[in-house]
Amino acid sequence: MSTGIVTTDLRKTFPVRRWQGWRRRPVAAPVAAVDGLSLRIPPGQVTGLLGLNGAGKTTTIRILSTLLRPTGGTVRVDGLDVVEHAREVRRRINVISGGERMVYDRLTARENLWYFGQLYDVPRARLRVRIGELLDLVGLTDAAQVPVERYSRGMRQRLVIARGLINDPAYLLLDEPTLGLDAPIAHQLRALIAQLAADGVGVLLTSHYLAEVEQLCRHVYLIARGSLVAQGSPAQLAGQTVRRHTVRLVLTVADPAVTVALRTLAARHDAELTVDVDDEGRPRFALRHPEDLVGAVVTAVVQQGGTIAGLTVTPPTLEDAILTLADPAVVAR
Amino acid sequence: MSHALRVVAAEALKQHRRLFGQPLVLFSMLLWPLLTLAATYYTVLPVMESAAAPQRWPVAADPRRLLAFLAAGALAYTFFFSLVQSAWHFSFERVSGTLEALFLSPASRMALVIGNGAAALTQNAWLFGCFAVAAATAADVLDVAHPGMYAVAAVALLVPAVAWGAFLNSLLIFSRDSAFLYTLLDDPLWFVAGVRLPLFALPVWIKAVGLAFPLTSSLVVLRGALLDRADLGDLAAPLGWLALLTVGLFAGASALLRLGEARVQRTGGLQVF
Repeated sequence: MSTGIVTTDLRKTFPVRRWQGWRRRPVAAPVAAVDGLSLRIPPGQVTGLLGLNGAGKTTTIRILSTLLRPTGGTVRVDGLDVVEHAREVRRRINVISGGERMVYDRLTARENLWYFGQLYDVPRARLRVRIGELLDLVGLTDAAQVPVERYSRGMRQRLVIARGLINDPAYLLLDEPTLGLDAPIAHQLRALIAQLAADGVGVLLTSHYLAEVEQLCRHVYLIARGSLVAQGSPAQLAGQTVRRHTVRLVLTVADPAVTVALRTLAARHDAELTVDVDDEGRPRFALRHPEDLVGAVVTAVVQQGGTIAGLTVTPPTLEDAILTLADPAVVAR
Repeated sequence: MSHALRVVAAEALKQHRRLFGQPLVLFSMLLWPLLTLAATYYTVLPVMESAAAPQRWPVAADPRRLLAFLAAGALAYTFFFSLVQSAWHFSFERVSGTLEALFLSPASRMALVIGNGAAALTQNAWLFGCFAVAAATAADVLDVAHPGMYAVAAVALLVPAVAWGAFLNSLLIFSRDSAFLYTLLDDPLWFVAGVRLPLFALPVWIKAVGLAFPLTSSLVVLRGALLDRADLGDLAAPLGWLALLTVGLFAGASALLRLGEARVQRTGGLQVF
C-alpha cells in the first residue's frame, strides 16, 4: 500500500445552470475548476499548493477531504480511494481553513472540542487528555470555559486549529490557516505546522503569505486554471522564472555618464533596466538578470566617478515565480 | 454502533447548548402550548355549545372531555412541530459553516439527524408532556383499557416523531429554502392532522392528505388509548399504518442523506448559502 495522498489526473467540473424563462437549465460547457492535476503529499512533510485566486486550490483541498467528488481521475489516501472509502479517509484527515468558521459560537472551546471528538470517535480517555493538550497548544486553556462568541478573531482561529487536530490526523489540509492572525500567533502556528510534519503528519498548505510557504514547504506545486504549471522546492521554483536577481542602485546625484554606462551594461547582458527617482529625488536603477550583476554594476559606476548612496541585491523570489508562471498569458502559451 | 450512539448524544447536547441560553426559556415550552390550547378551547367552545354539536360528536357535550381532546392534540402537535423547528435550526448550520465540519467527519449522518431531533423532542416537549399527563390525571378524564396502553400511547407518539424529525432534518440540511417548508408545515399540519377537530368532521380529501403525516395516526392512537378506552385490537389499523409510515420516513431520511450528500459533493452546494 502506498503511503501519502496521491492524486492522479484529478478533474473537477461544476455544472452551471442558468435561468432560461421559468426553468434553470445547464449551460453547454461546465466550469473546470481542476483539470488533470497529479500531486503527491507524503507523510512527514509540508507540501505547498500555490496559485493565484481561482486557480483551484480550495477545490483541490475539498476533493481531498471528501467534501467534493472528483469528476475524473483518482485520489488515494494511504491507498484508500476517497470516493469508495470516504469514511475511512475522513478518520485519517482533517482540514483547517482560515476565516474562523467551523466552530459553534454558543459553546465553549472545551465543549466544541468535546463535540468534535465524539464525531471522530476519539476514545473517551484519550479525548479528555487530547482536549487539554490542544487547549494548551493553542493557548486557550484560560479561556476554555468561555463561550466562543466572546472570543477575539485570533482566539477563534486558534480554536479552529485545535478542532482540526482533535482526531490526531495523519494528513492535515491547511487552507490559508494564518489568514487574519496576528504576527505572533501566525509565528506560533508555523512552528506548530513544522513540528507536526516532524512528527510524521503529511501537511498540504495553501497560503498567500509566500514567506510562510518558503519557510515551511519542502515541495511546492504551482497551479493555474486547475492545472499544474510547475513544481519543485521553493528555491527551484523561484529559479525557473525569467526575472531573477534584481540589483537596485541609488546614486547621490544624477550623472549622465553613469546612466549611459549602466544602459550599455544592460544591453551587453540583455538585462532589464528601469530608471526612476526615489523619494528624495535621487536617481534609482533596477537591473534584472538571471545572473547576479552586482559586481559589474559597481565597477561601471565607480569607473564613471559616480557615488553610490544605496545598493541592494534581491535574489529570485517565489512571488516572482508565481507572478510569472501562473500568469494567464504565460499559461496560455 | 457505539460510535453512532456517541454521535446521537453529542449532537443532542450540542443542539441544546446552541439553542438554549437562560434556563427560564424552558418555561416558554410550557407557556406557549398552554396559550395555544386556551385559544383553541375558547374558539371552539361557542360552536360546541350549539344544540346540534353533541348529536354529531358526543365529546362536545362535556367541556372536560373536549379540553382533554384538545390537550391531547396540542401535546402531539408540540412533539411533531418541535421537530420541524429543529430541522429549520439545523439548516442554519449551513450558513455558519459548521455543517461542512460535520460532513468532514466520519460520523454517521443518520445519527446526526436523529440526535438533532431527539434534542428538540427532549427540550421542547417534556414540560408540556408532563403537564398534560398531570392535568389529565387530576381532572380524571383518562379512560384507559389497560395500564400497558400508556406505553403504547408513548411509543406511538415518540417513535414516529423521531422518524419525522430524521426525515425533516435530512430534507432541510441540504435545502436553501427551509423557511418555505417551515411555513408550509405549521398551520396546515395543525389542520390536516385533526389537532383541533375530530377527523370525521374533515372532508375526505383532507383526511387523505392527513394520513400522509404521522401526527394524524399518532393522535388517533393517543386519544384512543388514553381517552376512549381503546385496546390494541381497536387501534391495530392506525398502529399498523404508523409503523409503515415510520419505516418509510427512516428509509426516506436515509435516501435523502445519501442523495443529498452526493449532490452537494457534485455541485459544491454545501459552501453556498
